[in-house]
Amino acid sequence: MIQDEVESQLSAMFDGELPVTECELLSRRIDRDEILRARWSRYALIGAAMRSEPVASARSGFARRVSIALRGGEVSARAKRGRKMIFNAAMSASLVAAVAGISISMLRYTASGSGAAGAAHSRLADSNVVPASVTGAAPAAASMRATTAGAGREGALLAGAVSADASMAAARHGGNSEPVSYVTPASAANVNTALRTELADFIVAHSEYSTPLMRRNLLSALITNEDGADSPVAGAAMAAAPARAAAGAVHATIAASGSSR
Amino acid sequence: MVADASDLSLVRRVQRGERGAYDLLVLKYQHKVVKLVMRYLRNPADAEDVAQEAFVKAYRALPQFRGDSAFYTWLYRIAINTAKNALAARERNPVSYEVDLQGNDDSTDMVSRLKDPETPEGLALTEEIRDTVNHAIGELPEDLRTAIVLRELEGMSYEEIAASMDCPVGTVRSRIFRAREAIDRRLREVFDGGLGRTEELV
Repeated sequence: MIQDEVESQLSAMFDGELPVTECELLSRRIDRDEILRARWSRYALIGAAMRSEPVASARSGFARRVSIALRGGEVSARAKRGRKMIFNAAMSASLVAAVAGISISMLRYTASGSGAAGAAHSRLADSNVVPASVTGAAPAAASMRATTAGAGREGALLAGAVSADASMAAARHGGNSEPVSYVTPASAANVNTALRTELADFIVAHSEYSTPLMRRNLLSALITNEDGADSPVAGAAMAAAPARAAAGAVHATIAASGSSR
Repeated sequence: MVADASDLSLVRRVQRGERGAYDLLVLKYQHKVVKLVMRYLRNPADAEDVAQEAFVKAYRALPQFRGDSAFYTWLYRIAINTAKNALAARERNPVSYEVDLQGNDDSTDMVSRLKDPETPEGLALTEEIRDTVNHAIGELPEDLRTAIVLRELEGMSYEEIAASMDCPVGTVRSRIFRAREAIDRRLREVFDGGLGRTEELV
């Protein structure tokens, strides 16, 4: 009896003669009830057969094909959106990486250019003193050499270029009580090189476009450099530039020759 | 408009994201749309493809449907435009059937046969459905037959049928439902019949 009422409602709904509220409820029921759905389809078929409409589509699964096409369209649209997002992200990342790379290269190139220009001046200065801010293996090695060889004034002077404490200790250890009267300022070219490189690293590290990994690497490099500058021993351990080591060796040799004289 | 209440209800459900409701609209209007498209494209297979495209387009445009007109009127326009576009595309890129035209009088028939995907089995099934329905209608009592014919062939509303048959609207609703049930039962008898062909009807 209830089923009859539902089917009567279905017939009325098919004709658009059921109140909207009842349509809403019944259409939800049809979604769950395959029998009602099949009956709905056959009502359409009966009307089409009466009007001599093509009924062949009913047997060829027309509605199913439309449903599949709609589902496929939704899936492909979602996939398309996903692909577009990935593409945009990849493009942005590569653009940022390219800009960052070019910026670093340009800054480093500029820094090395000015370093080369001041190379002669630097060499001239290096013949007397070790630049204080270059740090690293050279001053540490010089200091050690001066200490062990009982170096004289030149050795103390070399060590003193690293830091006041180191030079004082070296002078005292060398038995020469003459205090160090002055410290030659470091080569401006080398200072600039180091500063510019660090500045570039700092800018990239704090840039909003830098990736977390790149930022971390640069920050750790920066911190390492700062540590090296603060502590001559640590600087010696962390020194990576062979040029600096070579410079240190040259100065140490000078110190040694000075002491032997 | 009362006649579109159920369509509008289904449309609102689709607009809320319930795609299942659209299946009911497709099931309801598929025959009408295919017939409409066949006025432009004679080939039944092409007509079905274009009708399918029209339904897909209508679904995508449904969020913009405000219900100012009946759903079928709106769908009808989409179907007509899709059919016209398909026809124009076909004229721009005509399909060439490589048929030997060396004075063979049967060549035209051959082309039409190539174009027509309707298999003999399909045609036989269509004919069988029509015969069954017409036979079932012929067997209906007079009041049921009149009610279903006025509804399906004349497209009259229940109110108009009630006025025409001089009976309450509820009676019209009941008569139409009983007429459909009788025809449907006959269809299931023929297509079930131990051969399990009922699924061919849906």
